[in-house]
Amino acid sequence: MKLKRIPWISYLVILIGTVIMIFPFLDMIFSSFKSASEYSKLNYSLLPETFVFDNYRMAFEQLKLSMLFKNSIIRSLAITLLVLLTSSLGGYVLAKLRFPGKKLIFRFVLSTMMFPAFLFFIPNYYITVHFPLVGGNNIFGEGGYGGLAASMAGLIVPFAVSGFGIFLMRQFIMNIEDAYIESARIDGAGELRIFFQIILPMTVPALATLAIFEFIGSWNEFIWALLMNSVNNELATLPVGIQMLKSHLDPTLTQPLVMAGLVIATIPILILFLFLQKYYVRGMMNDGLK
Amino acid sequence: MKSFGLRKETVLAYSFLIPILLFYIIFLVIPVVFSFVISLTEWGGFDLESMTFVGLDNYKKIFASDSTFLNPILTNTFVFAFGSVALSFIAAMTVSFLITRLRWQGLWRSIYFLPAVTTIVAIGNVWLYIYNPTNGILNEILTSVGLKPVNFLDNPSIALWAVIAVSGWLGIGGAVLILTAGLKGIPHDYYEAASLEGAGMWRQYFSITLPLLRPTILFVLITSFIGGLQSFTLTLVMTRTGGPGNSTNVGALEMYNQAFSFGNWGVASAMAFVLFVVIFIITMIQLIVFRKGGVESY
Repeated sequence: MKLKRIPWISYLVILIGTVIMIFPFLDMIFSSFKSASEYSKLNYSLLPETFVFDNYRMAFEQLKLSMLFKNSIIRSLAITLLVLLTSSLGGYVLAKLRFPGKKLIFRFVLSTMMFPAFLFFIPNYYITVHFPLVGGNNIFGEGGYGGLAASMAGLIVPFAVSGFGIFLMRQFIMNIEDAYIESARIDGAGELRIFFQIILPMTVPALATLAIFEFIGSWNEFIWALLMNSVNNELATLPVGIQMLKSHLDPTLTQPLVMAGLVIATIPILILFLFLQKYYVRGMMNDGLK
Repeated sequence: MKSFGLRKETVLAYSFLIPILLFYIIFLVIPVVFSFVISLTEWGGFDLESMTFVGLDNYKKIFASDSTFLNPILTNTFVFAFGSVALSFIAAMTVSFLITRLRWQGLWRSIYFLPAVTTIVAIGNVWLYIYNPTNGILNEILTSVGLKPVNFLDNPSIALWAVIAVSGWLGIGGAVLILTAGLKGIPHDYYEAASLEGAGMWRQYFSITLPLLRPTILFVLITSFIGGLQSFTLTLVMTRTGGPGNSTNVGALEMYNQAFSFGNWGVASAMAFVLFVVIFIITMIQLIVFRKGGVESY
């Protein structure tokens, strides 16, 4: 039987691949338990000689991990909620309502996905810092202490709408029968009620996909958070805070602390992903087949 | 939905859309125009009065014969995108082909996808440790088989490829996800019929799998290539300024550093536009290729 030989080699190849994919994570976890002197000594070993749990305590103190963690959580939750709201509103309007300009707006939303992120760092940095009437700014956006970046809003507001999210929700809501909406209107339900009590509950699977997608994405986002941190260092998120510590202190002393911080920044998200990967994968597929 | 007047529906639609449209005006439309205006000035990013209009000078600087932006930076950008895509694509083709005939498919797919849901700061720092010239595992392996240790990120002729390797590793999971979806879409009957006709595994692969997977393959290749042209976070974390020299520098990173490390917002914005135009042209080519290549609804 020729066919029976194939799986054996297949498993071997896949297992070697698995080691290559997972090894860096193991290296990160084990080196977070090494002492500074062991970390910087000449010979490499995966496992630490003795497990130094103190790295985690010191990481919490020196990295201000609890502040970083709090910022990351608030930012990711806020962006996720805002994106869910704006995407389902926009998706509903573009899927179910008739109005002049609909096609144009839909095309515009699709085209926003083609703009590369790097194009916006410079102008949006200025716009965020000089946002009128917030963070002490006057109506011309001058005189303040950071505009939107004076508060968490700087980390959140520029991510409040997602073209991908609107598109995903529109595709999903298109498949909902018009009859639900029509009969609710005949029964005299208001438009907001139709949206919140009839449409939204039916979109839960799509919302779950979008939520996990946005939460992980904003948890991991680095460049914008780094820019906001340069305006106001109260805004550091986990990736930013860890990267900043790395550049400020003696690398040989702090490297295991950095690894401990990275473990805290990544492992919860990886576990979340493994539990919810079904939803995440669905979102990726949708992205792939848009 | 005739029970509802068109005028009432229009008012409703636009009142729902107002927050979204306002967002796009403030954070997308104005920024694109603003960014182009900045690219025509010399400006440090402080107050607007300090902007000096210089016409196309910034673009001339970028395209000047002694400019580092075209070579090596833009060349690196293309090498980076090509290299990462080639690596992750070849790996992903193998992996997705194998796991569709194994048990625990979902598990394997998740494992290969882990790096894609990990912050780049962690990826970059862990690989810095793996590449470490004195005590990283790669050099430990090299020296244990009698080879000389390699200074992966300090050697200008290797550094770019060291970053590309990480970027390729990072991209495998996403490509596997899309390719396995494509493979599952191929009807099983085709393979059964081919087996009955006596076609072997390789024959089936080249006559059935590859041709039917073509649209998916095109999609993966082109979208990840466009992604590769924009990517710079990994390079920023691993080499900070694209060094040694400019050997690992890519377009978006140079733009970032020109603006936020050196305060040359004008030049940086011009670079952003040049790179944007390059990516836009490739996106247009992609749309044409997809329409011809049978990727539906493009």
